[in-house]
Amino acid sequence: MKQIAIIAVIAGIAAVLPLVIGESPYFTGVLISVLMMAALASAWNILGGYAGQYSFGHAAYFGAGAYTTMILISKFNLNPILSMVAGIVVACIIALVTGSIVFRLRGHYFGLASIAVAEIVRLSALNFDFTGGAQGILLTDVSLWGVDLNSKTPFYYGMLLVLVVTLGIALSLRTSKTGYYLQAIREDQDAAASLGINLAFYKNKALLISAALTSVLGSLYAVYIRFIDTSAVLDLRLSIEIILTAIIGGVGTVWGPVLGAVLLVPLAEMLRSNVIGDALVKQGMVSETSGLGVFLKENLAHAHVLVYGIITVLCILYLPKGILGLLGRKK
Amino acid sequence: MVSGGKFLQAVHFKGVIMTFFFQSLLSGLLTGGVYALAGIGMSVVFGVMNISNFAHGDLMMLGMYMAYFAFTLLHIDPYLSLLLIIPTAFLFGFLIEKVFIHRIIHHPHQNQILLTIGLGLIMSNTALLAFTSDPKILTTSYSSSAVTIFGGISLSVPLLLSFVITCLITGILFLFLSKTTTGLALWATSQNREAAQLMGINVSKMSAIAFGLGTALAATAGALIAPTYYIHPMAGHTFLLKAFTICVLGGLGSVVGAGVGGVIIGVVESMSSTYLSSDWKDVVVFIIFLGVLLFRPQGLFGKKGEQ
Amino acid sequence: MKKMLVSIATAALIALPLLTNAAPVKIGFINSITGKEAQIGENLTNGAAMAVEDLKAKGIQVDLIKEDDGGDPKNALAAYEKLVTRDAVIGVVGPYTSGSANVVASRADQYQVPLLVPAAAKEDITMKGYKNVFRLNAPANIYSSVLMKAVAAYKPKTIAYVYAATDFGVSTVKTAQENALKMGLKEVANEKYQQGQPDYRPSLSKVKAANPDLVFLVSYDADAILLMRQAKEIGLTPKAFLGAGAGYTTAQFAQQTEISNLVVSATQWTDDVNWSGAADFARRYKLKYSKEPSYHAACSYEAVRIMVETASKNNTSAKLRAGLKAGSWNGILGPVKFADYDGFTNQNNHPMLVQQIISGKYETVFPAQFSKKKLVYPFTR
Repeated sequence: MKQIAIIAVIAGIAAVLPLVIGESPYFTGVLISVLMMAALASAWNILGGYAGQYSFGHAAYFGAGAYTTMILISKFNLNPILSMVAGIVVACIIALVTGSIVFRLRGHYFGLASIAVAEIVRLSALNFDFTGGAQGILLTDVSLWGVDLNSKTPFYYGMLLVLVVTLGIALSLRTSKTGYYLQAIREDQDAAASLGINLAFYKNKALLISAALTSVLGSLYAVYIRFIDTSAVLDLRLSIEIILTAIIGGVGTVWGPVLGAVLLVPLAEMLRSNVIGDALVKQGMVSETSGLGVFLKENLAHAHVLVYGIITVLCILYLPKGILGLLGRKK
Repeated sequence: MVSGGKFLQAVHFKGVIMTFFFQSLLSGLLTGGVYALAGIGMSVVFGVMNISNFAHGDLMMLGMYMAYFAFTLLHIDPYLSLLLIIPTAFLFGFLIEKVFIHRIIHHPHQNQILLTIGLGLIMSNTALLAFTSDPKILTTSYSSSAVTIFGGISLSVPLLLSFVITCLITGILFLFLSKTTTGLALWATSQNREAAQLMGINVSKMSAIAFGLGTALAATAGALIAPTYYIHPMAGHTFLLKAFTICVLGGLGSVVGAGVGGVIIGVVESMSSTYLSSDWKDVVVFIIFLGVLLFRPQGLFGKKGEQ
Repeated sequence: MKKMLVSIATAALIALPLLTNAAPVKIGFINSITGKEAQIGENLTNGAAMAVEDLKAKGIQVDLIKEDDGGDPKNALAAYEKLVTRDAVIGVVGPYTSGSANVVASRADQYQVPLLVPAAAKEDITMKGYKNVFRLNAPANIYSSVLMKAVAAYKPKTIAYVYAATDFGVSTVKTAQENALKMGLKEVANEKYQQGQPDYRPSLSKVKAANPDLVFLVSYDADAILLMRQAKEIGLTPKAFLGAGAGYTTAQFAQQTEISNLVVSATQWTDDVNWSGAADFARRYKLKYSKEPSYHAACSYEAVRIMVETASKNNTSAKLRAGLKAGSWNGILGPVKFADYDGFTNQNNHPMLVQQIISGKYETVFPAQFSKKKLVYPFTR
């Protein structure tokens, strides 16, 4: 009950946040990315964290949603909401096929097989013509029931809604029969099977929920950016980013993935836009022409992925249970 | 009745088809040799440490740069520079294991994977800062030379050399693992870590040696492909998924299996570009990969129950 | 009191026409500094840096705010929005990749801040009628049309395509196929490949078996070198190798004389073209970065120069847009004018050049008015 209250309070704060910060497309854009990654990591967590099935191929479901939506809108001028529903169907079909292959495997094999399936999806989208192939799909204008989709506001609330739904599902799973079964599967598959738990059924159930939510986020992303190609929505990097967010935040917990996104997405954006280097130079703490100044302004901009790598390594070494695990220990 | 002209045409056509087939087979075989070495390195790490090493491609990239700088700065032939690269890379891998991987050897798989991903990001992006994103081309006197056999099939000289060296190294490695004390200890660790420890084998040292070996093999594969490829901070990524595929195909931890697996992948890629289409060849490889996982998860050379 | 003095002083500064340049011109620059296109991104960075230096020498102070998009459209959009809303730039140069440029272009009219695309090739970008989107370089279809015009006189009959499965590769070949149809060229092979593979021999063998007169290639970076090495290895000798920009126009490729000799390529710029300052730019670039400038560097130099010079006379986005629309320039990229034609809006009708590598050096060979040398045809080893 307390957790539901927390979700409600946070959702309430998030809902009024745009009104407080006012018209700032840049900040709203970053917040949309935070909400999207929080929801993606939470959706992944249902399969990876609760059932212990570490999928390295979640980009496939994100891409399935994004591609289905964009194809239906651009070719058939279908309503974005209906296209999104179609995206869920496609993602679930891919999930069922994937599940029937990868759930027979364990450990390393499961992770590698999920990568292979996602790569097959990516290469297919790249090679077929109806997906726009290497050129991707570009939409110039989208509207829904007369609402202007050029504005960021609908997407902010859309992402927030999906996040709240995902967290709600995650929370209710924790105390439900399915949730207990998934945890039993995570702890010991053989023991779970000997207790009479239908492994395939519950694993697939978790995968379907996770894939459907991920696909909705893919659809939202596609209509928000209005351009997709395989490197933007089907790349292995996206799958890895999702897992990193969940693990660095705290895998298997309700709030870990959200915390991961709240910390990592703004950090990545700060590194990308080099605000730290710029701020140091602008504050006059470092001279622009000095060696350090030039390094901060020129080289640090090239090094943001490097910094991201270092943070990953440090987190895995020193916070193996994620940031939430560290907080939990201190209590 | 076939007219003379048509008959000659038919013979010629058949000849073209045969040349086609053998050209594709042999160039796939030779390219597969380099894949094999990358796969073997991955397999050693997998076998002994039970870790999926996602930094393997980046270690290969480091090998490429080592060969490049040995050639441009020290004027050492890339194949000769292996004598330098192998010990350096071994030491580097040994240290990486001691400093980083050693600490998470008992952690869940996914954390190990993410650590190697992080290490890979650090390596490739440090290379990006140090060597810039300009691809380096290692041009030796024989870079684009070829020998023609059977009157129409051309074979790349550097790839032929690489293939011979790969066979040699695989042979040496096999002997090392089956005849020396350290090799046998490594093998024992890969069979059963706990039992090996009980028998008095220093398994943590074995892990460091295995990672050193894996790194040395990856770097060697990188150096061997350098004269026929280009050198770039992200160049290893192309080979990472191939190395995984090869290692699963051959059976996790099996040196000979990975060797054969590499050659098979090389040939499959080549054949599917010839007879299907070059943009679908990777899909064919992944489908084979899934097929092996499903129907023979122990790999082509693994024993049943070893998974 | 002090505050008042400051504001009076500021007002005086603004009023003095001679000193209007004292406040630096604030322009954004979105580029692929990291990611898959980082190599080309570096050329763009260098070109922009040289433009800033030259502008400073002319007394125009520039605050060029650089943003990296890593080739990701999502980041390009974030970068553009940061530049226009947080940094309050009045104009933006970039992004490099077509995907990013398309996404940013579709928002430019919403924010009313002019965008000058220096080197992205996709036609769409300037075909949607956006008022605030300008493009300096010639779009993808010109790459193929100029190459085919250059060889048309020799009456080739057949053509084969070998190209990377990228946006640029696919779009360029699509337009090449249309041009080939008009010229009556027969397509005998079509090989699309995934970038970064070590072995292209099977694809090239198929092309060899089809025995085409022309081999039309689109590759990035070092893939070009790899392909041509393997083409030599298997003995592929058409009457001409036609490389559409990118990988076939780098100094690194030209230096591989064994495989690059007589390869023909389309480019936006060469250092021996008779455009004002081209040779001088090349010389200074080589001095500064100890390598040859690519056409990307020239495009980004010229884009930043045009944007900043126009912005220094037009201090709001609206005036800047009008300035870009009305102005015309003459520099290292030849005459520049943003015009509306053939369905394009604010597109510089840039004449592309055809160059041929002769003993490791690029020589402009087409169109005749820009070139000193004649095309060598057919190709021989």
